[in-house]
Amino acid sequence: MDDEYNIGTPSDVLGAGATGSNPIMDASNALSGGGNGFFDFLGGLADYATQPGVLLPGILGGLLTGEAYGRLSDIGKQARTGAEALAEQQLQQTQFRPFTVTTATGAGFGTRVDPITGEVKTTMGLSPQEQAMQSQLLGGAGGFFTGAMQDPAIREQELYGQIRAATEADERMERLGLEERLAAQGRLGVRTAQFGGTPEQLAMERAQQQAMAQARLGAAQQARQEQVQQSQLGGQFLGMGYVPQQQLLAATQPSQQLAALQQQAQLQGAGLFGEASMSGLESQLIAEQARANLLGQMGTGLLSGAFTPQQTSPTESLVGDMVRQFGGLFN
Amino acid sequence: MAQQLQSINLVAPAFKGVNTEDSPLAQDPSFAEVADNAVIDKRGRIAARKGHSVTTTNKTVLGSDSIRSIKEFRDDGGNTKIFSVGNNKIISGTTTLVDETPGSYTITADNWKMVTFNDKIYFFQGTYEPLVYDNASSSVVKLSTVAGASGASDIPKSNEVLAAYGRLWCADISNNKSTVFWSDLLIGQNWTGGTSGSIDISKVWPDGYDEIVALAAHNSLLIIFGKHSIVAYQGAEAPASMTLADTVAGVGCVDRDTVQYTGTDVLFLSHTGLKSFGRTIQEKSLPISSLSGNITKDIIGSLQTESSFFRSVYSPEEGFYLLTFVGQDITYCFDVRGTTENGSYRVTRWVSTGFTSYVRKENGDLLIGTSNGISEYTGYTDNATPYRFKYYSPSLTFGDSSRIKILKKLKPTLVGANNATVFLKWAYDFKGTYSTAEFTVGDQITGFFGESEFTAVEFTGGALTNQRSLNATGYGTSVVVGLEADIDGSQLSLQEINVMALIGKLL
Repeated sequence: MDDEYNIGTPSDVLGAGATGSNPIMDASNALSGGGNGFFDFLGGLADYATQPGVLLPGILGGLLTGEAYGRLSDIGKQARTGAEALAEQQLQQTQFRPFTVTTATGAGFGTRVDPITGEVKTTMGLSPQEQAMQSQLLGGAGGFFTGAMQDPAIREQELYGQIRAATEADERMERLGLEERLAAQGRLGVRTAQFGGTPEQLAMERAQQQAMAQARLGAAQQARQEQVQQSQLGGQFLGMGYVPQQQLLAATQPSQQLAALQQQAQLQGAGLFGEASMSGLESQLIAEQARANLLGQMGTGLLSGAFTPQQTSPTESLVGDMVRQFGGLFN
Repeated sequence: MAQQLQSINLVAPAFKGVNTEDSPLAQDPSFAEVADNAVIDKRGRIAARKGHSVTTTNKTVLGSDSIRSIKEFRDDGGNTKIFSVGNNKIISGTTTLVDETPGSYTITADNWKMVTFNDKIYFFQGTYEPLVYDNASSSVVKLSTVAGASGASDIPKSNEVLAAYGRLWCADISNNKSTVFWSDLLIGQNWTGGTSGSIDISKVWPDGYDEIVALAAHNSLLIIFGKHSIVAYQGAEAPASMTLADTVAGVGCVDRDTVQYTGTDVLFLSHTGLKSFGRTIQEKSLPISSLSGNITKDIIGSLQTESSFFRSVYSPEEGFYLLTFVGQDITYCFDVRGTTENGSYRVTRWVSTGFTSYVRKENGDLLIGTSNGISEYTGYTDNATPYRFKYYSPSLTFGDSSRIKILKKLKPTLVGANNATVFLKWAYDFKGTYSTAEFTVGDQITGFFGESEFTAVEFTGGALTNQRSLNATGYGTSVVVGLEADIDGSQLSLQEINVMALIGKLL
């Protein structure tokens, strides 16, 4: 197998120093009572570490491992920074884009984002003609509602007066006619317990009273019908008053759909952009992670080799390993 | 040369009654200048009226007053009772007069009118609360005390009342002379409820103003008599709907008590004499005929001097209508069986009778009220007292008023007059000095076969006639012949008077 990074075989790296004396074993032995005790052990260890075959690989391994550790830390930071930059960029990409609509009748619909609060605000404006119409309609609705809220008794009395005025002439003629008939019949002076006057007088009075009662009832009904009618008209006028606005809103529907499509496309593009960006970041992270891992592995190998007895010249091996290690690192 | 004796026969003299209107010279001898206490009998002759027989034996409650009104009460149960008024009392009975005046009810006048209606008899007099009597309560009480009655203030205190068309009708109230009130149907005490009512006819009078005097019901009409006009309403069965049928201006009624029904007519006394409504079938108008045309001035004179009551009665049995001027004690007797050429009833006059009221009972008997109580029109004495029958012819000229007439004989033919003393009188040239020839009629008692033949009386064939021939004296261009007789228990009819006269020279 080719050593792409010129690190050398792991067995070689890790096996450096394995031959000869084993410091660890020596240290162990020292602790267990061989030599001069603990200080002997430390003296032995220092001696061991100062050996060229151990010191250099150990230092290099440590450096490499620290480098790998540092790189892994940098990789996380770089990933976070990249993600944040991506998010910032996507946020800008997906931000609402205001639009305006102007209808054929001159009404306008606009949207904007409050730069301070970030709220989306809409504005609607009617044409002068539409505003005039709206004012007229709403004013009329107010008038109708005012009329609808009036005491119906007032209108009832007014209607009753009109009905009575229309019928009083006929009633007077009927009364005079009856009076003439009664006079011709010599019955003007008739008073009865049963009818009050004559049956004809009672019938006429009853008919007239009935007509008056019907007139009053009709007036009451008419007043209430008018009240309902005014209420309905008020409602209709009120509804009609909002028709320009409704029409404006209706006219914004296609634009809103277009804006939604645009927003959708914007979101989709931002998503694709984010995904692509994240893919690159991920690939870079993976690569950086792999390099860091490799450095770590190299450091680990060097450290392992430093504490493993080597049969070969430690310096040679150590130098060879270092050369290979560094050569791999900077490739 | 001696003149031939002419016979002028006055057949059935005065059978046309009294005529004081036409000129005596131009009069038909069938009229009479005077016919006192006379009637036209069933044969069309002038005859003495009947007398009256007093029924009353105890008139304590009446005192010295006279019976002012009489009424026979009858109900559906067959109960009858004679009510009368007088001496400021309501009286019942005919033999013994009983005071029926309610307690604590003060009466100061006797101008009551009584009507029977729906098993009750009602008493009405102006300013007095009406009274009522029925057989169940057997007492005369105030109308307002009857169950279902209107309040006393609501019941008209009228002077005139009429029971007709299922109601009581009243009018002539002291402060309301133009309103007719009617009671509820069949309820004479209810004047405020049901179908009661009133009609003010002050705007109906044809002359603009009048006062109601009397009411009458005839031929489905309600006739309202004013003093000077008459108003008739049709459809009075439903008074609320009754309508004016006719009005008569210028003729009214003098007094409510002069109105009498003859079945086909309504007789009443107007200011111009006795009038009647002639019934017509085809026409709807009310023709009025004068029935006292032969004594118009006499009637008017009596009217003008009368200060007391008027009383009248119609008797189909006797065939007359009596009209009494109580204050003057004059009664005109109108024979209703026929009229003279001018449409007037034949009329005679009753004087000094003392009659103050009448009633015809259901059985046809005629009751008469006098100061003696209640009498019955029967017999030929006035309560056992003779009365004078008088007949005087109009001035007779025998067809030529320019020649002298010299009466030679008078030959009256009398029917009846049993044992009566007859005075035959004559006078010339409108002078009031009469020559008199007196004679006494013999026994005129009839003797019928099998009853008194050959015993008490001579066998006769019925009413006996008596013919006398009396010598007359004097002369003149016109002659009045009279006959007087005291009627004392026997009828007297004047069949004829045969006048034998010489026609003298021209004056």
